[in-house]
Amino acid sequence: MNTLAPLQRARAGLDSCVHCGFCLPACPTYLALEDENDSPRGRLLLMGALLDGSVNPDDPAVRRHLDQCLGCRGCETACPSGVPYGQLLEATRESLVTHRPLPLVARLVLRLFATEWALRSVLAIARLIRWSGIAALLARLLPARLAMPFAMLASSARPAPASYDARGDGARGTVSLLTGCVMEGLFTDVNRATERTLTVNGWKMRVTADQRCCGALHAHAGDAVMARALARANIAAFERSGAEVVVLNSAGCGAMCREYGHLLADDSAWADRATAFGAKVRDVHQLLASAGPAVRAGADERHPRLGTPVATRVAYDAPCHLQHAQRIVDAPLAVLQAVSGINLVPLADSDQCCGSAGIFNLLLPDVAERVLAPKLSRIVESGAEIVATGNPGCLMQIGGGLCLSGSAVTTRHPVELLDETYARAERPR
Amino acid sequence: MTSLAAQLGRIVGDAHVIARATQLLVYRSDALPGLQRAPARAVFPGTRDELIEVVRVLAAAGAPFVSRGAGTGLSGGALADDITLLGLHRLKRILALDPIARTATVEPGVVNAALTRAGAPHRLHYAPDPSSQTACTIGGNIAENAGGPHCLKYGVTLDHAIRATVVLPSGEVVILDRGDVARDDGTQGGYDLLGAFVGSEGCFGVVVDVTVRLTPDPERVCTLLADFTRVRDAADATSRIIAAGIMPAALELMDQPTIEAVESSVYAAGYPRDAAAVLLIEVDGAAAGLDDDVWAVERLCRAAGARTVRVAHDAAERARLWLGRKKAFGAMGRVAPHLVVQDAVVPRSMLAELLDDIAAIGDRHRVRICNVFHAGDGNLHPNIPYNAHNADESARVHAAMTEIMTRCIAAGGTITGEHGVGLDKLPYMEQLFTADTLDAMCSLRAVFDPERRANPGKVVPVRACREWHGVASTRHGARAGETR
Amino acid sequence: MNSLVRFEPKTVTEVAESIRDAATRGRVLRLRGAGTWMDVGHAVQADAELSLGAFTGITSYRPEDLTLSAGAGTTLAELEAATRVHGQWCPLFPWGDDRGTVGATIATGTAGPFAAQLGRPSTLALGVECVDGTGRVIAAGARVVKNVAGFDLTRAVTGSWGTLAVITQVHLRLRSQPAVDETWALAATESTDATVRAFADGPFAPLGCERVSAPDARELGLGAARWLVRIGGNATLVAAARGAIRALGVAYEVDARTWNAIRQRGAPAARATLWRWDSLSSRLRERFDPARVLNRGLLGEVA
Repeated sequence: MNTLAPLQRARAGLDSCVHCGFCLPACPTYLALEDENDSPRGRLLLMGALLDGSVNPDDPAVRRHLDQCLGCRGCETACPSGVPYGQLLEATRESLVTHRPLPLVARLVLRLFATEWALRSVLAIARLIRWSGIAALLARLLPARLAMPFAMLASSARPAPASYDARGDGARGTVSLLTGCVMEGLFTDVNRATERTLTVNGWKMRVTADQRCCGALHAHAGDAVMARALARANIAAFERSGAEVVVLNSAGCGAMCREYGHLLADDSAWADRATAFGAKVRDVHQLLASAGPAVRAGADERHPRLGTPVATRVAYDAPCHLQHAQRIVDAPLAVLQAVSGINLVPLADSDQCCGSAGIFNLLLPDVAERVLAPKLSRIVESGAEIVATGNPGCLMQIGGGLCLSGSAVTTRHPVELLDETYARAERPR
Repeated sequence: MTSLAAQLGRIVGDAHVIARATQLLVYRSDALPGLQRAPARAVFPGTRDELIEVVRVLAAAGAPFVSRGAGTGLSGGALADDITLLGLHRLKRILALDPIARTATVEPGVVNAALTRAGAPHRLHYAPDPSSQTACTIGGNIAENAGGPHCLKYGVTLDHAIRATVVLPSGEVVILDRGDVARDDGTQGGYDLLGAFVGSEGCFGVVVDVTVRLTPDPERVCTLLADFTRVRDAADATSRIIAAGIMPAALELMDQPTIEAVESSVYAAGYPRDAAAVLLIEVDGAAAGLDDDVWAVERLCRAAGARTVRVAHDAAERARLWLGRKKAFGAMGRVAPHLVVQDAVVPRSMLAELLDDIAAIGDRHRVRICNVFHAGDGNLHPNIPYNAHNADESARVHAAMTEIMTRCIAAGGTITGEHGVGLDKLPYMEQLFTADTLDAMCSLRAVFDPERRANPGKVVPVRACREWHGVASTRHGARAGETR
Repeated sequence: MNSLVRFEPKTVTEVAESIRDAATRGRVLRLRGAGTWMDVGHAVQADAELSLGAFTGITSYRPEDLTLSAGAGTTLAELEAATRVHGQWCPLFPWGDDRGTVGATIATGTAGPFAAQLGRPSTLALGVECVDGTGRVIAAGARVVKNVAGFDLTRAVTGSWGTLAVITQVHLRLRSQPAVDETWALAATESTDATVRAFADGPFAPLGCERVSAPDARELGLGAARWLVRIGGNATLVAAARGAIRALGVAYEVDARTWNAIRQRGAPAARATLWRWDSLSSRLRERFDPARVLNRGLLGEVA
């Protein structure tokens, strides 16, 4: 059996690379590791070499370079010939796992995310560690490498949640939130803020039961079997709930859900349903921006008296899977601009990956740290007090990094900031 | 005695030396993947001192080497055939930027566009703008004397280079300038050593740092897109504009196959798909009088037969028009899996005739030629997308290219305007230059690299050098005394 | 010096023969164009003079290409006359005057007051035909405005004062004359010098902007003028630039020929006397003129 079959099927994508090198400066690992083997052009070449047999799938160096890809897909944005890099990478990883299983840590994490009760328990314990202050304490006391996971966890704590009675006419249609594992487990308040802001802006929220993990982590790591199983479960669940639109506030999960059609393309029973599901997927920023978030209009019409605007300097950092994978660039900025009193400051290289990349930062902390370092520098240079970004991994990777570097800058989801404005507007001076 | 790789590893750290064949695969070619050579090892110094030390160790070992920036070259210039590849991409610091003097001093691995970004807060930019500017390095630009669309008005790389610190292949560190500046030692004259060095394709030495001129951003910029139903008319419009005494910042021509490739890519710029050719014209300078030039250009285009002339109204539209042009070469990757990119210059007045001839050559060999080029300079880029796995098609592409180059030489043109000779155009050198001239080029090289260890086998065919003729290539001589 | 034997070869081959012959006999040749630069630099202990007097005339001129080729001995005045009728400039305008030859201008690398805008010799020379000190006949560059084929012999020879090769023909880049071309004398105080320099570097991109000394100004009939400014471009641009000049001080338009007088006054030739002789420069000389046949001693090289 040809173990490289998934990559073989994706071969046409490799052929469209003209080797121009425009992807190099768009690649965070090339910039950090400074070896072209750790660049998109290099990795595409290695994929081709795997196929033509000039390198061995067991070659540890080859595997390392392919493993070290963040999968941020920044290269796709830079690529003039439209190489489907993300799909090629997943096909490669799917091919390679048949040769050598994933590292134990990766297998455990992926299994965890696919096992509902276990995931819930772990997230509950994590919340306890966070709530008790142990996470923050360990982040301070442990050496940096060990402290990072705790710093990330500590940084996921949200300020007291906004509470107000979100009302809307529901005229824009019915949407259902794919709540996500980490989002619902650690960023519960963001999910509620998502529901409230969508409601205010005219969507009717519908709950979808029996949701599962979206499978993005599995697909990125090469565990396509598990990714497909999870995708089928989600497609079925959302079909049952009858939502017109599936909304996500996690860029990574959103990018995965949109690509269910590709993931299940070879599954005749599911391919069409998966494509239909993908077409219903929207990012929360897209919906809010398309409504023209209510605060500006609302300030005049519905909420004559705003709460005291807080002049806060906010920098937006684009999650790769929003910017590059979903090509959603302006919508999050439109959402932020609707936040009363905000001072949006430019963030250099905001389209570059922070190094989170799913479970990448757990598997290759060294590389993740080197990718994160310039991001933290740019944030400090921007003078921002808050970094807004719409993906749990990025919120925690940047948040953890800032926490460990002793910075007072915090990370927030753009929707949270909008939600707070709405809450303030409900409480007249 | 330790291996060369180990010696180099002691200087730069083992993580930055590659000696495994599988990891050297990606360093086998530049942006012209049709040409491949396997390096014996690759070394990536991270500091100025490491770079100099590496070159000295190579000198002591008598080892030849090839410098490489980002590997975006289009002539196979940075290929190392079983010798050491010296990657300069880690040397990416901007050492100084003086907004008053309008200069910057940079390491060779600084990306061209990064320098322009660094100048932006001071309303300055680095003018030479090859299409690969988002990825290519200043060191590579110096080696190739790179051009770009805006070189029509602002000049090529050499016109923006002031001074360079260079480590010669012997390990000697020298400072080169244009020979017309007052120096600390009291001298004011000298040979134009920098002029000789820029464009020497890595055969003269390695840039340690280079001081370049930054150009003030123009007060106003206006970009026009004119479309034509005949390629000839577009070429004619070009001549009319230049003859009218207007100096556009850029004057680019794209023909129908190129438009089609761009419009099918993510960089779709809104070029009319049914046009035989479009001209992308940029006029810039002082705000006063710019509109007069824009109107004049528009009038001249219409007089030459332009169907429509569109003026970009805002920065976003201008950027979109340009992005399509700059990514055109990559966008051809959509047409076929492989691409040959050519780069010839002809007297501007012969453009229309040459384009007709090129089309005829394409028809005769049944290949699809996409023209996208700097019309204002007469700098042609006939590109042919093809499938290299098809032997018959490859042969036809090769034959067509050879014929095009011969035609350009016959027209009084040259074989490369900005991509360099490298390996790709080596066969044409003896067609273009006399034996004496080629021999003189060898002498010029020998001034900088008498042992010809820097990028051996490129630019001038070895047999053209009388002094070296018949001498066994250094590579083999050197390798005999080298232990791996 | 005038009693020197003078060779006046008619062809490139004859030039090569004279040089090879001189090299064999250990003789030194003093190169001569119009003879306007002969007193510049260090003294040359020459055995004979090699005149480029036979290499005159425009060999190729296609106005639509804005390029021109001419024999080295062609005077700048001839080029000026030939290009003017097509509304073009031979943009060298070096310090000195138009009796000088184009070959000497390129060989000495002499720029002039408009070099910043119109280009220096090292930019304007697209190619040269020359014979080096070993008798090799070199044809470098071409009649195209962009060219990176091979190592750049044109750059090496330009500005080398004939110590590497004897230039017999040059290919030049031309410029279109601006629609409006005005020269202004500007009387301004010393305190505004920085402002004037900023104007010179600014968006109007004046063709020239030169400080004129008080005695020179008097002699040239420029009165109290401290600066001479040349602006060119379309009518709207020049009108705006004119306004900007007037804002700098008292300004009045003068004849463009004033520049000829300015060019004759400013003839900085220190380059040849204060030459840098480092190891690379010596090796360059050695490779192209090992017998030091050409202009030996002119640049003060240590024998």
